Amino acid sequence: MKRTWLSLIIALTATIFMMYQNGAFAQKPTETKAEPVKSEAKQDAKKDAKPEEKKAEEAKPAEAQSITIEIDKTSLNNGGSINVKGMAPAGKPVYLEVWAEPKVRASRFDAEIDKETGKRPYIFYITEEMPAYYKIFTPKDKKEAYEQNKKEGAKWSVSKALKDTGADVAYSVPAKIKIDRYQATLMGSVIGSRGELLTQMDEKENRRRSMQLTKARFRNIDKVLSPDVEVNPDGSYKATIKIREGLAPGKYFIVAVSDKNVKTKPITFENNISFPTMYLSNAGTSLNVMWPFLLVLGIATFGVLMGAGGGFIINPLLVSIWPLPHTVVAGTVMPTVLFSQGSGILNYSRIKFINWKLGCTIGAAMLLGGFIGPKLTEMITLEQFKFVFGWILIILAALMFWQTTPGYIEKNKREQAILKEFQKRAKESVAKKEN
Amino acid sequence: MYMTVEFWGQEFKVNIILGCIGGFLIAVASSMFGFGGGPFMVPLMTVGLGLPMYVVVGSSLLAIFFNTLMGTMRHYQFGNFDLLFFLIMFPAAILAGFIAPQIAKRVSPLIVKRVAVVGLLLLALNLLGVY
Repeated sequence: MKRTWLSLIIALTATIFMMYQNGAFAQKPTETKAEPVKSEAKQDAKKDAKPEEKKAEEAKPAEAQSITIEIDKTSLNNGGSINVKGMAPAGKPVYLEVWAEPKVRASRFDAEIDKETGKRPYIFYITEEMPAYYKIFTPKDKKEAYEQNKKEGAKWSVSKALKDTGADVAYSVPAKIKIDRYQATLMGSVIGSRGELLTQMDEKENRRRSMQLTKARFRNIDKVLSPDVEVNPDGSYKATIKIREGLAPGKYFIVAVSDKNVKTKPITFENNISFPTMYLSNAGTSLNVMWPFLLVLGIATFGVLMGAGGGFIINPLLVSIWPLPHTVVAGTVMPTVLFSQGSGILNYSRIKFINWKLGCTIGAAMLLGGFIGPKLTEMITLEQFKFVFGWILIILAALMFWQTTPGYIEKNKREQAILKEFQKRAKESVAKKEN
Repeated sequence: MYMTVEFWGQEFKVNIILGCIGGFLIAVASSMFGFGGGPFMVPLMTVGLGLPMYVVVGSSLLAIFFNTLMGTMRHYQFGNFDLLFFLIMFPAAILAGFIAPQIAKRVSPLIVKRVAVVGLLLLALNLLGVY
């Protein structure tokens, strides 16, 4: 009996998954249609970009304006400070654009009402090319504009902050990343697809959307902007660039920018990390691996004791303590319980403590839920993740409290006695069979 | 629709529609937020479906396993899985499975649960931005 149920479920899963992988659910024709357009757009962008670069180079000597940059160190050990100095045309501002070579993913689901059309666009933006570190250092006299934007808290906007501080002249690297966008539909969400792949955006739109993704990735204004460059009236400038701990290892670039045509070539430095600090490439964060190990060990032990998996406590702690994306946390914590669940099932099945019919029937419904859930993770922001998680924990706390009430304990005692009796009987019958 | 469940010679009638809808919702939430659904599944099956504890312990684990398996595959497919991060946490989780039973002999489960209630509430209020 149990074999029939199990094989049925496995066959069903495999079929659905294969169908999904083959793209039976995806709107394939439109996707393939979008493909050539995309590459064309890319070529166009390249063509457009090249002459502009040349122009910029030509413009420099003509105006006889130039900017220089010098750094005092070329390598850091898991963060540190670098002193930057140089010479810019007198009376001009100096912005330092700093970014890391390693790339990470950033995504954003746009469900806010469009001011022009009054409709919700439901478009999912995703890029794999966001620099793991990105920051623009602005002149110190822009501090007021920076503080003004900082006051808006979580609602701050990258484009407004860049405009207010004048840093939009320096904003160039994320503007050029390749962003995919998908038109999400209700039906698409139900079958678990990201939706229809839309055509590539033009340069201006790409720049605008990249700013929203920059915010989605770096969250806070102080991660993206910093009014730290001291510019003297004669044009000399200096700044101390602080690279904090826990950033991606590898090459970093700095470009000094005065205006659209006056900028230096990128100057590089290296950020090194050594064990026990390791870089989580998917999360874009380096961390001392001992801390998450000890945290998980402690919480998981407590989780087993209280009879609830540790995931309830580990996930919110991980996203709060380290700058880890909630998608990576959810996607990585989930497989860790797979093996303990599997061994638990094995143990229960040995003493015939599993009703396969009941487990597989409800399991089929849960299979469907597990198919949809992971896609919803990437459609919500970290704030929404925390908010919903907060309420889930309150419900869990209520359930836990209910389990400490006298009525429940009394009932539980009786049930536990029966459970033990059944377990004893089960073990005996298994032993008998083996003899 | 009722389903007859047989367990060690006893028969139970189960409202399977309620079980499937509840299981589905728990599965969406648990795979979305990356936790196991055990603490929600057990009350659903004991209180919602009226099954005794000894039937629920094994079968709920089996049902959740399907969800975890599918959720894992889907998260992997969407690129949410970080191998190194997994390799850090996995040994810790396994080790916890060996340590916990040793401690369980010495502490009362009632006290653990009371601590858990307070801890969970504090964490929840923090997440909701109350403090």
